[in-house]
Amino acid sequence: MKWFDAARIRLPLLFAGRAAEARMNDEFRFHIEMETERLMRAKGLAPDEARRQALAAFGGVEKHKEALRDGRGLAWLRGWSLNVKLGVRMCARYPGVTMAGVLAMAIGIGLGAAYLEGINDFLHPALPLDEGERIVGLQNWDLEENDPELRSMHDFVGWRQELGSVQNLGTFRSIERNLGVADGSAEPAQGAEISPSAFRMVRVPALLGRTLIDADEQRGAPPVIVLGHQLWRNRFAGDPGVVGRAVQVGNSTSTVVGVMPEGFAFPVSHHFWVPPGSNAQAYEPRQGPPIRIFGRLAPGVSLEEAQAELSALGLRASRELPATHEHLRPRVMKYTDLFVGDEDNWQAYLVQLFFVLLLLVLGSNVATMVFARTATREHEIAMRFALGASRGQILAQFFAEALVLALAATVLGLAAVALGAQWFTRLLWDVTQGQIPFWLDDSLNVTTVLYALVLAVLVSLVAGVMPALKATSSRARARLRHSAGAGDSALRFGGLWSAVIVVQVVFTVLILPPAIVSISALGEADHTDPGFAAEQYLSARVDMDMGPEFQATCDELRRRLLMKPGASRVTFASRLPGMGHPEAWVDVDGDGSAPGAAGELVMATAVGVNYFDAFGAEIVAGRAFNSGDLRTDAGVVVANEYFVNEILQGRNAIGRRIRYTTRYAQQAATGQPQGLPRSVMRERGQWYQIVGVVKNIGMDTTRDAFTSGQGPGVYHPLTPEAAASGGSYSVRIAFHVRGDAAAFAPQLREIARDVDPGLRLYDVLRMDGPVDRVSRNQRRMGRFFSSITGLVALIALLISVAGTYSVMSFTVSRQTREIGIRIALGADRRRIIAGVFSRAMVQIAVGIVLGAVTWFYVIVHVLGGRDRVGLLVVTAIVLMLVGLAACGGPVRRALRIEPIEALRNVD
Amino acid sequence: MPSRPPVDALRGSLDLLVLKTLSLSPMHGWGISQRVQQISDGELEMNQGSLYPALQRLEKAGLIASDWGVSDNNRQARFYRLTAAGRRALGNELESWKRFAAALDAVLRTT
Repeated sequence: MKWFDAARIRLPLLFAGRAAEARMNDEFRFHIEMETERLMRAKGLAPDEARRQALAAFGGVEKHKEALRDGRGLAWLRGWSLNVKLGVRMCARYPGVTMAGVLAMAIGIGLGAAYLEGINDFLHPALPLDEGERIVGLQNWDLEENDPELRSMHDFVGWRQELGSVQNLGTFRSIERNLGVADGSAEPAQGAEISPSAFRMVRVPALLGRTLIDADEQRGAPPVIVLGHQLWRNRFAGDPGVVGRAVQVGNSTSTVVGVMPEGFAFPVSHHFWVPPGSNAQAYEPRQGPPIRIFGRLAPGVSLEEAQAELSALGLRASRELPATHEHLRPRVMKYTDLFVGDEDNWQAYLVQLFFVLLLLVLGSNVATMVFARTATREHEIAMRFALGASRGQILAQFFAEALVLALAATVLGLAAVALGAQWFTRLLWDVTQGQIPFWLDDSLNVTTVLYALVLAVLVSLVAGVMPALKATSSRARARLRHSAGAGDSALRFGGLWSAVIVVQVVFTVLILPPAIVSISALGEADHTDPGFAAEQYLSARVDMDMGPEFQATCDELRRRLLMKPGASRVTFASRLPGMGHPEAWVDVDGDGSAPGAAGELVMATAVGVNYFDAFGAEIVAGRAFNSGDLRTDAGVVVANEYFVNEILQGRNAIGRRIRYTTRYAQQAATGQPQGLPRSVMRERGQWYQIVGVVKNIGMDTTRDAFTSGQGPGVYHPLTPEAAASGGSYSVRIAFHVRGDAAAFAPQLREIARDVDPGLRLYDVLRMDGPVDRVSRNQRRMGRFFSSITGLVALIALLISVAGTYSVMSFTVSRQTREIGIRIALGADRRRIIAGVFSRAMVQIAVGIVLGAVTWFYVIVHVLGGRDRVGLLVVTAIVLMLVGLAACGGPVRRALRIEPIEALRNVD
Repeated sequence: MPSRPPVDALRGSLDLLVLKTLSLSPMHGWGISQRVQQISDGELEMNQGSLYPALQRLEKAGLIASDWGVSDNNRQARFYRLTAAGRRALGNELESWKRFAAALDAVLRTT
């Protein structure tokens, strides 16, 4: 907070200056009056004469005042306050430049600040807990897989006994359980199986009752649960007598022993806590459930020291248990790095550099505008030089002017970032239904504010000092001397300015298409046509614990639903039409008549036997699945029509085989394509035979927010292995409802509870909207980011157009006198006009061509974007119009000048 | 003043005079200027205003301090007084001034 202290000292001094001034005046007045009185007394002078002599004896009052002011040692500050005052006045005088400049800088500063804020919040968050920086995470790093090994219960037991440098060691595992309340309804909630030591470690006491204690962890202890504040308020109506009540937690009953205070969601975003169900001692190395391990550094121990102790244990383990631990290296890290990864994120800083560059580009844009304005202030500069100002003082003034702009921009940019952060956090909260890490903070960090201020100074240097340096260079000053008094200006705009215009145009060409694309993306419909009567279907995600009865549970659900009037065509799948489908790389083998294909990207999912039938998707070749395909080793898939048309060029698909490639295997290792049949992941390299081709039904990619659409895909039969996800099964159920599909939701919940109280239902939704959280969220996030990029692109566009306009109109207005003289000498007006305009058009045309070439090379060639010739044409036309407008005004003014007026100004 | 003594010498002697003046009693700026003129018998004439930068300098150096008070004719005035450091400095200054003057005197005598 050094800056704050400095400001605290300096600000009163500014005002103290005013008080000192007043005191000085009093003192001088007293002196002169005393002297006047003395002269009247001693020499009998008249009051006026006495006062005159007193003043003479005193010497120059202003000179002495100035000496005193200098003596106060704040001269520089007052000089600056004057500069700032001048700066504010300048901004008010040129509202156009001011607005464009502030917006341009605000974008640059805002983006840079937002990015840093994001990095700090997501990658380097601070835990809002007592000494949160000393809370650490521990994990075994698998060198072979380059991934953490989470099944480390065995190691945890050893570490807990032996590690001295980390205390309160504990584990947690996220669980979902239906939480039953008195009225019989049960809804799933996110909780954690967590070591009681966690509560000692975080140092947060319970709001009601108690936290978990070590005794709860003992074998045979009665099952207990601690509720989060939100859960307590929403499900138990904030009942103060909730402690001691028995609640249904999944398939068992637990006693509520405590409620945690509001905002407490350790370890990440958890709403209830139960002791770990399993006996930790019982696990063999690399066995047991996946767990996360946390602890608090012992007092006085550094992270490095803890790592050294842990590494020693790790080395011993790899010696003693070479079979399992040869490639495992235990690591201790900042707690949040367990979740965000603690790799060196130099890429992140590279992106930061990009934002700084963007700011500099925007800053130089402002600089050109400021320079154009500076040129109109040559007389002011000349005058100040004549009055003895040094070059440094003049530079300081221009810097201060730019700083005024930049500070206004900083305020604007930071306000936008603060607003955006809140908006984003609310959105995140919405789309994750409260599952955001408790350490995320939507207020601005101090470092972000400081960084923004640094950026402001940086951009002021570019936008303020650079033009001023040029304008006050010795060459410019020499010319100033010659031209002082004449109505001419001395700054020359030769090839440099043509280059500036061309660069401006290139910039605009590059900005315009993305601006239009991202803005038009906002207006696009949310959902593509699924190809069936989606509004008549109800769907839900059903999660159930792992067990042998997956198929039986599905069958029972189906049977019970079909008994209800109105429900029909019940089916199950990993993904439903209209949802995002995971993608994978496949090779397709050739057959006698056709060559194979390698490295094709297809979507894949697993579906129930009657899936195609349920959505009325016609089998166009071969067959649909039958119950015989429900073996893991069946090795059959059904392809969609896109697959046949795009990958096989319409040739026969039946009997052809596909195989997931190693490229996919790499993806699978990083766990990206969730929801893909696990069996596929495990048995990569296995061939799958295409047994049927089905009409396209809403297989959407969701590669990112901008490229969604249907494409080639294959369906696997839905086996228990394919439904497995994490530690449980997760499938989608969908069925047709006669009448209002949404109104059927309560009946579905009721049936699910009857079939198995452990079934957890999510996203019970009609299928004509986004049917799952993931695709709905992706769309909302996509809209969020595209609205930001759209806004930024739009403003950047306005600025580059404004920049082009201002520089062009400026260069033309420089020629005003020349034009006037030529007309005075009898030149043809039309030829003059043609000359001015053709020059402008050539500059713009060169810019457009260069921009188009860059566009095609970078965007199309390197980044693989789409070419948009239409947009280029639009851009060209817009820029030509801007050019015409920019030249039109000054030329008209020039033509109106009386010849005599123009000639008078000749030296 | 037809021929001004070098600024440093003037400044040094002015400081000395101010300190000497204030060693008698606290005084406001006008009073000091009167007293300086009195002491020097009008020989040392200067712009009265130049006194104030000197006062500011001395105050900054901690040799004198100032307070607002009421003058003899019942007006608000700023009174300057010698600090302990000022008293010490005055002693030193007087000492070196005397040595300087004696040396100067000796030089002037011999030539």
